[in-house]
Amino acid sequence: MAVPFLSFSVTSRRPGLVSVINTIVLALFLIIVIGPLAGLAVDLARLVLSGTAPAAFASLFSDRRIWLLVQSLLLAAAVAAAGIGTGILVATALWRKPAGITFAVLLMVLALAPVPPYIHALTWSQAIATLNRGLTALGSAPLPATGWTVSFWVEFMAMLPVAIFLSYIALASVDRTLVEAARMVRPDADVLHAIILPLAAPTLSAAFGFLVVLSCTDYSVPSLFGSDTYALDIFSTYSASGSAAGALVAAIPLLIVTLSVMTWCRLGIRRLAQTPNWTAGSWDTPPEFPALIRMAQEGALALLGIQVVVIFMGLVLAAGSLQRIATTVQFSAREIQNSFLVVACTILIALPLALAVSRELLREDRYGSLWWGIILVPLAVPAPLVGIGLISLWNNPAFSPVYGTFLMPVFASVCRFTPFAAVILFVQIRSVDPALFDAARVFSRDTLHTSCRIFLPLLAPGLFVASAVLGALTLGELGATLIVTPPGFGTLAIKIYNYLHYGAAPEVAGLCLVMVTATLLAGLCIVTALLRQRRTPGTIAQISQESIP
Amino acid sequence: MADRNLKIFILVAIVLALAAAVLLVQPGDGRKTVVVYTSVDQVYSEPVFRDFENRTGIIVLPVYDVEATKTTGLVNRLIAEKNNPQADVFWSAEFSQMILLKNQSVLARYQSPSAGDIPAQFHDRDGFWTGVGGRGRVFLVNTDLLKPAQYPESVFDMMDPRYPGPSMGIAYPMFGTTATQAAALYSTLGREKAHEFFANLSRKGVRVVDGNSVVKDLVSSGQLSFGLTDTDDACTAIASGNHVAVVVPDQRAGEIGTLVIPDTIALINGAPHPDEGKVFIDYLLSRDTESSLVRSGWIQVPSRDLPEKVPCLNGTTIRPMVVSYQDVFEGIEMTKTDLAEIFIR
Repeated sequence: MAVPFLSFSVTSRRPGLVSVINTIVLALFLIIVIGPLAGLAVDLARLVLSGTAPAAFASLFSDRRIWLLVQSLLLAAAVAAAGIGTGILVATALWRKPAGITFAVLLMVLALAPVPPYIHALTWSQAIATLNRGLTALGSAPLPATGWTVSFWVEFMAMLPVAIFLSYIALASVDRTLVEAARMVRPDADVLHAIILPLAAPTLSAAFGFLVVLSCTDYSVPSLFGSDTYALDIFSTYSASGSAAGALVAAIPLLIVTLSVMTWCRLGIRRLAQTPNWTAGSWDTPPEFPALIRMAQEGALALLGIQVVVIFMGLVLAAGSLQRIATTVQFSAREIQNSFLVVACTILIALPLALAVSRELLREDRYGSLWWGIILVPLAVPAPLVGIGLISLWNNPAFSPVYGTFLMPVFASVCRFTPFAAVILFVQIRSVDPALFDAARVFSRDTLHTSCRIFLPLLAPGLFVASAVLGALTLGELGATLIVTPPGFGTLAIKIYNYLHYGAAPEVAGLCLVMVTATLLAGLCIVTALLRQRRTPGTIAQISQESIP
Repeated sequence: MADRNLKIFILVAIVLALAAAVLLVQPGDGRKTVVVYTSVDQVYSEPVFRDFENRTGIIVLPVYDVEATKTTGLVNRLIAEKNNPQADVFWSAEFSQMILLKNQSVLARYQSPSAGDIPAQFHDRDGFWTGVGGRGRVFLVNTDLLKPAQYPESVFDMMDPRYPGPSMGIAYPMFGTTATQAAALYSTLGREKAHEFFANLSRKGVRVVDGNSVVKDLVSSGQLSFGLTDTDDACTAIASGNHVAVVVPDQRAGEIGTLVIPDTIALINGAPHPDEGKVFIDYLLSRDTESSLVRSGWIQVPSRDLPEKVPCLNGTTIRPMVVSYQDVFEGIEMTKTDLAEIFIR
């Protein structure tokens, strides 16, 4: 007789108070995340209507620009494909490792995520130069120090931690009971090929899309190795004209492409029906793969090891003694404190916004599609333009209590990274049996009580993972923060880049180590929380008990 | 257990929200402040701010630029904030962006009494900004890879077949001081010759990298034989004990000299603290402050006759390129657009 209750969809019926709060939070999302970009678009429309449209329109689809875009996309696609391929191999290799090693590897890749791409580029540049000196001494031909090959390699290495993290989540989303059933009748390699990868494909394709977007908008690594990308051309346009609207015009082709990629990816992720178990560790009976796959897996683990060694060794050697690191930390105490404040506030503000939006993403109608489009736009807009948009929106006397405070760098990160959190929470909501949500509503006597006792605990794993991703990305954010940071308020990323220009390698390395250590500690807390939160299948009976105050 | 985790999470969230609220509403301590936006490196400008605070009691609230944003940072912020300015003073590491700000009506007129002994070419003719000291564009040479007889002596030596393209480096000439130097070359040589020069560099495969500091790093580590950079970067490399030397290009008779780029300082139109801003500008343009900036290594080409010597230049005097700042500025957008066509492909 309970069947009719189970047929309610998660968005079909909302209590009044929740609905009002949800509407308010969605409005806040539009103001904080979309407002700055809308401001830029309005500036652009004004220019077009006044007949003084930026000159960038004229050369928007020149041969040079089209070729640059093609180059950039090929590089980004190659980096994303290599990243996801390696990520799958590492994640499946971890199935045969003890749970402790799995979590150590995941913590390591999470800790590397906020290290700026530029640090990866400089460290690898130095490593390649050292290797070439050795090769030359041995009479061998040196490795190429510039060009697309080395650009691909370093960009791939810089993205590898994120790629592994996302691939692990994608594979963890596959329902183990389905896999175990298949393993009863087919060899593990066949199960991987015919069951696991197809089931993980939607999430893997979303991860591929994220990596393409991240790689497309980064110019720092390719430009250090002499490869020109479209993102660099956008900056060049901005630098030459000083016009944010002009830069936005220049960014349109990239915007179209990244939106298309993300739209294609989300078609898969919307159909996602698996159950992400973020804490999926080792198997009772680990899968056995053929020798060729095992070799590839070990090779992928070795690649990750090389990346970790190059970065950590590079940073540790450059940082010098512990005393020197302590001195650097002491001199940068205020920036470190500011960075953590910004990270904490970003998580606090972005999570409720992301949660509200993630529920809209569940909708199957055109409004759901509209929300998907809305959250994808900030991902494709260059960071300094987000900063300029924030100034357009917030720098007026009405908002003077906000503008010029530390909330502006917080808004910069919220604007740029909330979409990531929204997608993570979307995946988490999809993973929970809708019947549990419906049951909670049916038995609910107190909306607040039900939200705290039922909804949030069900979403807690996704909230923890989203917090980790938001924290890591915010810690390394520079482009938009620099444009809106209040006077006298510096962050760790700004300090690192200032030292970098001066050539203060020990200080840069010391501060990067602080970033890595902080992310490691935060990651450790989150993993601990996830382990304690280990999901047990909820039942409607439990919910009916929990819902009665 | 899950419930306990969630309670901890909510508790932490509430504590953080309260801390943020306290930070937002805390009243100022009543001391005077001045907001300074600067593209001068923090390691050089921060000691100046601290000294100013000690002398005047006025607190400096700085906003720094970084090279990674490719000069799109503070200048565009100042333009975007034009209708509701937050800054009092802009202290720029070069001049063309200051002229852009003047044309955008971001600056206010102020002629500092401290600048009376600064030569006329450092003053804006309309009194909106004043220049002081400066840095020169120089070659940084790796002494392990090149002997003194092999050192380049002119920027045009970069086209010499003796130097393979990939052994030389410049920063992307669409950004920063390299863009200013390119615009000066366009102004001096004319568009056709300058375009041909840079196109030849591109065809030759000169390594174009992400900033002057990267040129310095690559030359210092032996990945490049030599490269064009600023004197402050070059002197930093020498002070770090790297096997490098500074060569000031185009100093022989009949040659064009090298571009010297002064710092420029201006008051912001509608500044929230104009009086404090003027006090800061007076301090910054004073002879004592210029001397201390020479000693700290930021300025290698003083605007006044100062007793301080620049150790890394070994007493070498720099003959500057004779060029109109206004002409350089007027050509800079065209130069950057032209060079983007050449170098970003």
